[in-house]
Amino acid sequence: MMQTNIDVKNTPKIHVQKDFLVVEQLSLQLENNPILNNISFSLPITGITTLIGPSGAGKSSLLRCLNMLYSTWGGEITIDKTSIKQWQAGEDNLRKFIGLIAQKPAIFPASIAENVTFGLPRKQRKQDTTTLIHDCLIQAALWDEVKDRLNQPAVSLSIGQQQRLCLARALALQPSILLLDEPTASLDPRSKQLIEISLRRLAKNMPILCVTHDLEQAKRLQGQLIFMCDGKIIETGESQELLQNPQKLETREFLRWEVCDCD
Amino acid sequence: MKIILIMFAIPAILLPAACVLYIFYQAMPALNLSLIFGSDISVVGVNSIGQSILPQITGSLLLMALACFIALPIAFSIALFHAFWASQNHKKLLMTLLQMLQGIPPIVYGLCGLIVFVHTLQWGISLLTGSVILAIIILPLLSNSLIHAFARIPREQTDAALSLGLSKLNVIIRIWLPASWSNILTGLLLSMARALSETAPILFTATVFSGITWPDSIFSPVTSLQTHIFYLAQEGSNIQAIHTAWASAATLLLLVLCFSLMAGYLRRYDTT
Ligand SMILES: Nc1ncnc2c1ncn2[C@@H]1O[C@H](COP(=O)(O)OP(=O)(O)O)[C@@H](O)[C@H]1O
Ligand SMILES: [Mg+2]
Repeated sequence: MMQTNIDVKNTPKIHVQKDFLVVEQLSLQLENNPILNNISFSLPITGITTLIGPSGAGKSSLLRCLNMLYSTWGGEITIDKTSIKQWQAGEDNLRKFIGLIAQKPAIFPASIAENVTFGLPRKQRKQDTTTLIHDCLIQAALWDEVKDRLNQPAVSLSIGQQQRLCLARALALQPSILLLDEPTASLDPRSKQLIEISLRRLAKNMPILCVTHDLEQAKRLQGQLIFMCDGKIIETGESQELLQNPQKLETREFLRWEVCDCD
Repeated sequence: MKIILIMFAIPAILLPAACVLYIFYQAMPALNLSLIFGSDISVVGVNSIGQSILPQITGSLLLMALACFIALPIAFSIALFHAFWASQNHKKLLMTLLQMLQGIPPIVYGLCGLIVFVHTLQWGISLLTGSVILAIIILPLLSNSLIHAFARIPREQTDAALSLGLSKLNVIIRIWLPASWSNILTGLLLSMARALSETAPILFTATVFSGITWPDSIFSPVTSLQTHIFYLAQEGSNIQAIHTAWASAATLLLLVLCFSLMAGYLRRYDTT
C-alpha cells in the first residue's frame, strides 16, 4: 500500500519505534501573529490522544500543521522518523496517509456514496465500491441512517450526519493516522457514543489525535491527554490522572471553569 | 424619501430605454433582411441602403472571440496564482495592478498597440493586433471576475479536498470548476460584451473602412461594426449612410445586450 518504511501494519512491532508521530518545538506564525509556540509531543503507535483547550488555543492550527495545510511552521514533525517536509511521495500522498476531519464539515455537492469515495483514485472510484462504502459508513456510525438513500445529495444531511460522513470519507482512504477536530461537537448523545466506540476500535490499529471541548468525552476516550492554551502545551499526562489531579494552575482553572488565563 | 429615490430611478430607467427606442426608430429605414443577407457589401462612401453589414458583424465577432481566446488562459493563470500561491502582499499588489490597468483609457492601449504591434513587431493593421489589444483591455475585468468566482468557493471545501490528498489540479477540476462555472461564464460574457463595444483601440490597429470584406488570415485587417458606425457617421450629407449607421448601432446593441442578458441569466446557476 505505502512505502515499506512507513507501512506500519506489516512491520514487526519490535522494530517500530514507540512514538509514531513526533512533534518537536513546533512554532507557527500567521500574518505575524504567533499561533503556536514551542509545541512538543508525540503520538504512540496506537491509541487515542486527546487534545483539550479553550477555543483560540491553536488546536485546529496544530492539526493543519500536521498535514501540511499550513507549511510555514518551524520545528520538526516526523512520522516514523521521516520528516513530513521531506515526505518522499509528496504532500498529496502525506495527506492521504493522515486523515484529517475538520471542525466544520465540508460536504461536496454530490451523493452520499460519491462523498465517501471522493478521495479515491479515479480507477478505484469506477470499480464496485459498495462494500467499501458500507464498511466506512458503519465505522463512522452513519450506515443505519443513510443506507436507504446512498444516492441522494449529501447536502440534505444534518450537520451531525455530515460530520460523520466526513469521517467515513477519510476512512475510505485507509489512513494510518487520524486527526479529528471536535468530531462530536454537533452530535446528539447517541451518535456521540457510537463515534466514541468506533474511535476506540480504530485506535487499536492506529494513532488517533482527537481535539475536543468536552471534558466528559476526554475522560471517556482515556489514553494520553494534552492540555493546550494560548499556543502552548501546558500539561500532558494520562487522561484520568490529569483530569483528577492537574498539576498546573491553568489546567485546574480550565477544568473548573472551562476558561483559561495563560498569561 | 421613497419619492426622492423614485424620482432618481425613473430617469435612470427611462433614459436608456428612450435611447434604445430612438436607435431603432432611426435605424428603421435600413433595418431589413438585406442588412444581413444582402449580396452587396456595405461600404463607406457609397449609397448604402440595402447593403449587407455581415462582414462587419463577422469582424466584430472575430475580434471579440480571438481576444477572449487570448485573455482567458492568462486570466485563469492570474486567478489561480491569486488563489493558490500568492501571499497577502502579492494579492494586494495584484489587485492594485489590475485596478490600475482598468483605469487606463482604451485609446492609450490603441496608441501603444500601434507602436508596439503594428510598427515594431510588424504585425500591421490586422485582426491579430486588434485582438491582442482587446485582450489586454478585457484582461483586468476577466481576471477580476475569475478571482471573485474562485474566492466565493468556501475555504472548507478546498481544505477538505486537499485533506483527502487531492492534488491542486484535481481540486481545481473536481471542486472549483463545477462550483464556479456559472460565475466564470458570467465574467466571460461580460468581457465579451466589453470587447464588442470597444471602438477606439481598434480604430487604427485592426480595422479599415473599405476595400476589405472577409479577412484571409489573422494578419489581414478586418472591418467591424463599431468602426463602421464611426466612419458612416462622418458622412453627414449621405442620409442613407446615416440610416445604415443607425442600423449597425442597433445590431451592435443587440449583440452586446445578448451577451449581457445571458450573463444575467447565468447568475441563477450560481451554486457557491
Ligand atoms: N488564517 C489565520 N490567520 C491569522 N490568524 C489565524 C488564522 N487562523 C486562525 N488564526 C488565529 O489562531 C488562533 C488559533 O485558532 P485555532 O487554531 O482555530 O484555535 P482552536 O481550534 O483551538 O479554537 C486564533 O486566535 C485565531 O484567531
Ligand atoms: Mg478549532
